[in-house]
This record gives sequence, C-alpha cells and structure tokens, in this order.
Amino acid sequence: MKLLEYQAKELFDQYGLATPKGVVLSSGEGAAEAVAAAGLDYPVVVKAQVQVGGRGKAGGVRFAQNPEELAEIVGALLFSSLKGIQVRQLLVVEKVEMAAEWYLSILLDRDAGMPMVIFSPCGGVDIEETARENPGAILKVPVNPLVGVADYTVQYLVSKSGIGGEHLPALKNLLCGLYRLFTQRDCLLAEINPVAVGKDGTLAAVDGKIDVDDSALQRHADLLAMREAHSEPPLVTQARAFRFLYIPVGAEGRVAVMSNGSGMLMSMIDLLSKKEISVACALDLGGGATKDRIREAVRIVLSTPGVDTLFICIFGGITRCDEVAEGVRLALEEGSGGSKVVVRMEGTNKEVGQEIIGRTPQAVSAGGIVEGVRIVSEMLSASAGRRDAK
Amino acid sequence: MSILVGTQTRLIVQGITGREGTFHTEQMLAYGTNVVAGVTPGKGGQRALGVPVFNTVREAVEATGANASVLFVPAQHLKASAMEAIDAGIPLIVTLAEHTPVQDMMLCRMLAREKGVRLFGPNSFGIISPGKSKVGFMAHSIFTPGPVGLMSRSATNCYETVFMLSQRGIGQSTCIGIGGDMIPGTSFVEMLPDFQRDEQTEVIVIIGEIGGSAEERAAEYIQAHVTKPVVALIAGKNAPKGTSMGHAGAIVAADGTGSAQNKEKALREAGCHIAQSTEHVVELVQELIRREKH
Repeated sequence: MKLLEYQAKELFDQYGLATPKGVVLSSGEGAAEAVAAAGLDYPVVVKAQVQVGGRGKAGGVRFAQNPEELAEIVGALLFSSLKGIQVRQLLVVEKVEMAAEWYLSILLDRDAGMPMVIFSPCGGVDIEETARENPGAILKVPVNPLVGVADYTVQYLVSKSGIGGEHLPALKNLLCGLYRLFTQRDCLLAEINPVAVGKDGTLAAVDGKIDVDDSALQRHADLLAMREAHSEPPLVTQARAFRFLYIPVGAEGRVAVMSNGSGMLMSMIDLLSKKEISVACALDLGGGATKDRIREAVRIVLSTPGVDTLFICIFGGITRCDEVAEGVRLALEEGSGGSKVVVRMEGTNKEVGQEIIGRTPQAVSAGGIVEGVRIVSEMLSASAGRRDAK
Repeated sequence: MSILVGTQTRLIVQGITGREGTFHTEQMLAYGTNVVAGVTPGKGGQRALGVPVFNTVREAVEATGANASVLFVPAQHLKASAMEAIDAGIPLIVTLAEHTPVQDMMLCRMLAREKGVRLFGPNSFGIISPGKSKVGFMAHSIFTPGPVGLMSRSATNCYETVFMLSQRGIGQSTCIGIGGDMIPGTSFVEMLPDFQRDEQTEVIVIIGEIGGSAEERAAEYIQAHVTKPVVALIAGKNAPKGTSMGHAGAIVAADGTGSAQNKEKALREAGCHIAQSTEHVVELVQELIRREKH
C-alpha cells in the first residue's frame, strides 16, 4: 500500500525525522484559520494529496504568500481532479529554505534479498534524470538485515559522495531513523526526496514516499486505517471485500479475465494480447472457488464498464468444477446484460461442471487455455460483424 | 533419482493439527510421503492420522531423525515456525502460505543461508517427485514420473504445463514451486546444479514471470554450466506496467530490468528454448525428448 504524502510525513514524525511544520486540510472551510492554528508562517506550500507522477507540473503544488492566496488555492485545488484522480486532502506546509537537496531511500532489493540504501547529493525532482545521465552520482549500499545500518554504512555514503564529514552525524541520525521505520513498519520502500539541507546543516524530510507490504498490514492497524483516505476504483474495493484481487488492465477492452492464480492471469492476458484483444480487467480469485464466491466474482467483473466478454480459467486439484459452473450460471441468471462467458476448468467433477455450462445459454466451455482464447476471439469478431450489419 | 524430495525424505508437518495441515497430511500420506512427525505447540504426545505429534521441532527431530519440514501455518506465523525449523537443524524447509510479510521471509532466508539450509517458498505449492514423495498441497493426480525437471514461480502455470505433459505421456523427475513472492527462499539458479546432476532429468523447464532478475541470473548459470536442454516461459509480457499482479514480485521495474523481453533475451542467448505459452512449453519438450531418443 502506497501511502499519501501526509501519511508518510506522519510516520517520519513518529520516527523522529524532522519534517516541515504542516497541516492537512480535507475541507475548504476555515483553511486560513487551520493554518494559523497550526502555527505556520507564510509563505506556505499547498500540496494536493494524490499519487500521480509529475504532480507539481500538473498544478498540484502551489505557493501562497498570505491567507487570501491560500483560500483561493484551496478553493481551486480541493476536490478538483488531478490527472483523473480526485483531490480529497491538501497538505499545507511552511516553505523550507534549502542550501542543498539530497535524495535518500531504503528499498527492499528483491535480488539481493535485503534492504538497499540509495543516496545521492543531487536530490530533487530530477533524480530519475540523474540516475540515467549521471549514475555515478547515485550510491547504493546493501544492508545486512541481521546487522542493520552500521557506522560504516554511513561512512561509505559520506566518503563516496563527497558531501563533507561535517554532515556525518546528521545523515547517520536520518538514515537510522528511516531504517527503523523501514523495518518496524514492513516497508518495501521508504524514500525522502528531497532531503532539505539547511544552511546550518540540519536535515529535513520535505517530501516522502512510503510503500508498505500489503501482506504485513494486518499487524499495523494504524497503517491499515490509512487506506480509508485513498482513492481507488470502487470495483477494487468491492472485490477486496470478498478477498478477490481486482486489477484494472486497460481502459479500452471488452474482455475480462478471471483465474485462481496470478500466473495464469498473466498467461491469459499474454495470449489474448497476441491476438490483439485488449483486456479491461483481471480478477484473481485466490483459493476457495465455491459457487457463491464465483457468482460474486462474475458479477463484479461484468459490472466493469464496457466489458461484455469474460474468460475464466480455473485449474486446481481440489477445485470443484461443478461449483465453478454453478456460480457462473447463477451470476448470469441474475442478469448480466447479454454478456458472454467462456469457461475453462480442470479439477474434480469436471463433467458435471461442463454439463451445467452446456445448458447455460450465455456460457461456453473450452478444453484448454488456447482454445478458450480462440473462442473469445471468434465471439468478438462475430459481435463486431453484427454491429457492422446494423 | 529426482531431487530434493524422494523415498529418503523423512518429513515433519508443522501445523499438522490445523484444518489445512490435517487435510494435506492425509493427502501426502496417501501419496506415499514418509511423514514421520507433526508439530503443534501444546499438542505434544497426541497422534494425528497415526503420526506422533510433538510440541517443538527439536523434539520431533530428536525422536524421529526427520530431515525435512513443511509448514502448514498461517502467513503471520511463518517466520517463527521457519526459524524454529532452521534452529533445529532441518536441512530442507518448505513454506507455502500466501501473503507472508516479505521482510519475515527476508530474515528467514538470510538465516537459512548462514546455516546452509534449503528454504523454499512461500506462496508455493511445494515440491513433488512424482511417484515417490510430495511435500506441499499440489494436485498430485496430474503429476507422473518421467524425465522433465520443472520449476515455476506460478502454481497455476505449472499445473497447466504438467497436466498437458502428463496427458502426452511425458512425466516429471521433480517439480519445484519456487513461489510467487518478491523474495523466495530459493530461486531458479540455485536449483540448476541439482537438475544438471540428476540422472533422471533430461529436460529442464523454467516457468518464470516479470519482475526481479531471477531468470537473468539463471541464464548466466545455464550459459556457463548447464548442458541439458532448457525450455523457458516468461509470463506477464502484457501485464499492466508498474502494477502488482498479486504475486508481490511481479512488479516491472521502470527501466526495463525485470521485463519479459529482457528475460527472454538473456535466456535465448544462453541457449534456452523460449516458449510463448504453456502449450508451447509442452510442444518444445516433446520435440526435445523425441530428438534425444533418435
């Protein structure tokens, strides 16, 4: 789960990392009063809390010199849409004077199987460009999780980057705090960009990104509660209630795919794409393909705008095909606006399942994944043909 | 011979008295797996399905000389159980649970390496040497003994491939569920020496997917050390970029590393046969085995 900026700031504060003084606004009323109550001095920065790349360039970060400007900006920005996502909160912070901008992050490096510290004395909005054009300016150092961040880790960063030994104590403090946050809060990524370097050498986390491991959210009730503030497609939320994973794939497609494993979903999307068929969404059922769960899953994917064809591929040793088929039949019976479903399944009671599919008007059985893709392709061209005839 | 698990395996089931543990222990026993002990804290002294239950892994090892353990424990308890098995000196540990916190596995993997323990999973179906032993919850009826050594990050793509292989009369030496998580205990490259050495294995199949560089590292090793034919499939070419597909691992790096194209290129240059679908894997394997026979 990727946290919003103000949520990351809350965690930075918890772990003793200095951040600019700020306040979160989720209502346009009394913005200036809230900013005054939080003790902020003008000029302030108003930042839209949405997870989109190039937020600043899209107008999501603005400066206010006084309360009047603030009210105007808040009125324009709050509840507006930024790159298609509604702005539900604004973070207002004091503008920080920076002598330099650094970059510091800890990433879970999947190949090394351990955390990796990434540091650059050239931080800020162009860090990715720096990575491409001047990779030498970016330092990477792995951290053995059985040891943690050691003095030599910080020494290495200071020495190689040439920032000057006087920065060592402050950088060590910042990195140790960030590492504690990273490990104690089950992060996949904890990033500070930029690290504001003050004229007196103090370091502050001006903006941050934190990605928390979804599998660990259960043990962080406070982080789990942060999800409430996130904007996500309603079908994703609906699916999660049944422990399904709903993945929007493309805005164009008429086809949805469903399976009991993400590997199979990827294979289905690959094979359909090869036939130039766009997939709108994918749904991972996880385990336990009972008829009620299948019915809900079919209902959810078929309610995706523009989707009228569903391809289901289920392969599990103990999956009961009759349950799968019954779930499909029930969902179609309850109304699905003429959508078609292609079902490929292996497991126990396969014959019974196929018999149920056989007498369900809008459903077809497929013998294998490739045959299923062929049937979907034929269905799409047949319906396109009918449309042309009209 | 097959690798990792076989007639020599003396297995402990951690979490034997749980619902999943009981069901799958019964399945494993029926398949012929030598389950010598179960572990559930607080239930030591009981028997489950005729198997003695112990409070701790150490007691189970002392009493039975077990040399492998499989964990039917919830994801949130996986770390404690795996650490216990590592500390008790079990040389082969298979974890299965979905949604295991990645940093938990990271620590287990580090410790396992320190101790020379082979740790597999999580988010995996386990390991099976068809006809000899199964350790995990895979649908064993589709597996048949034979010459194909297979390892896969995805369970569903593995099942699909094995099902078609068996239908065409091509069996498997050992099938390994590497698991779909971001940091698996053991990756492809570490299993290649075993498959290369194994007399029963004639063709190696790797079913990978986007994200990470496990396939690229396997390609390097294959180039230098593997003489047996290798067939590889990379799933996720057309997966939405930057989106997790449920396997926490399947995240395509923005700069192209971890992409299907990168992986296929590396494997092709290492001399592997690249398949475009699970059905294509089976066709390529069939062709390679036919060629070997003549």
